[in-house]
Amino acid sequence: MNVLQIILITLIATLKKIDQKGPQIFLYNTVFWGVLAGLVMGDVTTGLTIGATFQLMSLGVAAIGGTSVPDYQIGAIIAIAIAVSTGKGVEAGIAVGLPVAMLAVQLDVLGNIIHGVFIRKAQQYAKEQKWSSFNLMYILCIVVTGLTTGLPTFLAVAFGDVLVTTIINAMPVWFTSGLSLAGKILPVVGFAVLLRYMPVKQNIEYLLIGFVFSAYLNVPVLGVAIVGAALAFKLYKDENKSLVLGAAGAVGQGEQYDDE
Amino acid sequence: MTNNQNKGVLTNKDLNRVGRRWFMSVETFNYETQLAGSAAFAMLPALRKIYKDNEEFLEALDNHFKYFNCQPWLSNLIWGATLALEDNEGLNAKDTVQDLKVSLMGPLSGIGDSIFFILIPTILGSISAYMAQEGSPIGMLAWCVYGIAIAFVRIKAVTWGYQGGLKIVNEFGKQLSVFTNAISVMGLTVVGALIPSLVKVTTPLKFTMGEVSQELQTILDTIMPALIPALFTFVAYKLLGKKVKLTWLILIVIVFSWICAAFGILA
Repeated sequence: MNVLQIILITLIATLKKIDQKGPQIFLYNTVFWGVLAGLVMGDVTTGLTIGATFQLMSLGVAAIGGTSVPDYQIGAIIAIAIAVSTGKGVEAGIAVGLPVAMLAVQLDVLGNIIHGVFIRKAQQYAKEQKWSSFNLMYILCIVVTGLTTGLPTFLAVAFGDVLVTTIINAMPVWFTSGLSLAGKILPVVGFAVLLRYMPVKQNIEYLLIGFVFSAYLNVPVLGVAIVGAALAFKLYKDENKSLVLGAAGAVGQGEQYDDE
Repeated sequence: MTNNQNKGVLTNKDLNRVGRRWFMSVETFNYETQLAGSAAFAMLPALRKIYKDNEEFLEALDNHFKYFNCQPWLSNLIWGATLALEDNEGLNAKDTVQDLKVSLMGPLSGIGDSIFFILIPTILGSISAYMAQEGSPIGMLAWCVYGIAIAFVRIKAVTWGYQGGLKIVNEFGKQLSVFTNAISVMGLTVVGALIPSLVKVTTPLKFTMGEVSQELQTILDTIMPALIPALFTFVAYKLLGKKVKLTWLILIVIVFSWICAAFGILA
């Protein structure tokens, strides 16, 4: 890895976190960040492949209400840099990227604690009408947010190259193949989280319809999505109709009652 | 609330500015007041325009440093509504502003988190990962277009919140429950399809009885295709229901995978 690549990978990792916490335009779009890292490393295909692997692991894992969750995008960025620069392939990349993704939780918590200090200061500066200091506190918050991912990524890709190769060579097979198996199973966690947020108990039939279309009939996901959209549209129309009818029915019943 | 009753001074330009400054959203997240720092930052220019008196302005700004936490995208509706109040009522509305924020952030977060942070990213993420595995960036690019388009809608949402004040947020809630129910049907159908198509876990175990060897996976497939993925999803769903924390569940999966890989139980 050359110096320019190290700088650019660090920059991508920094911007990733700043976007995730602020504008949220490329939020959870792991493949997008993977492709950016792939472009820097000159291997877009690996970027797509590893991006997809981490995307699947990250399904359903969202930092809701300010919780700290594993940072799979950073995992992907580091994994791509390591996989391409060491030439040891996808598994080696994941073996380094996934632990960093898990450790990112700790740094995120630390960052949030530091934000507290800056925001208390900002409130004070607002009272004292020191507006440039007030704005500075917000800039510092953004800098800290960026550092929580920029710093570990820099350490992993700048000094990790040789170290990482040694570690990977020392890793037992069950360790690396276990991690790629985990990558295959983790989407299940995402679906479970998603299902916890959805009315599974009332609407289990739709889950089964989707499963049958895909598992037994091998309809591609987009095809099943169209079936789902049709079912959703039907339900939407029916519910709107019953809202109107329900209101009319209530009036009708009321009149009948009056007649009696 | 019709527009001619509006005594306010804020223009759409001011409201868009609030929307853009709210891109600060979670950047300042802290454990005491959560998103309040960003709220004050977003409101600042609008409040300065509303309150001619400097002391009043400082008091109103300080008010926004009180605890706030809501799904950031739908928060824009709240900002519009509270600004409409402050623009018309001034500091008389100070307590109402805080009450309004607190009462709306729960329901809006419930809807916003499940749709915008869980449902849509899971479905778009599955599709873009599915396509990326085959070497195509189309899914990912479509997601980028969605992200950029939504960013403009989010800025615009401040104006919607302002125009309708409380009314729009309340009515939005009623219509949204029908809409949310319909979208969840589509979501469930898609998730049903995603489990067998994205989770490709199989077992390499074989039974050998004398000279006959039988692969376990073949037997499982005759019972039901994608039996293992379906079973795992069910177990994970149940564990989450038993209040097992997400990070723990992820760690359990990793350790479980190491054991299964070491003994060749799953691949």
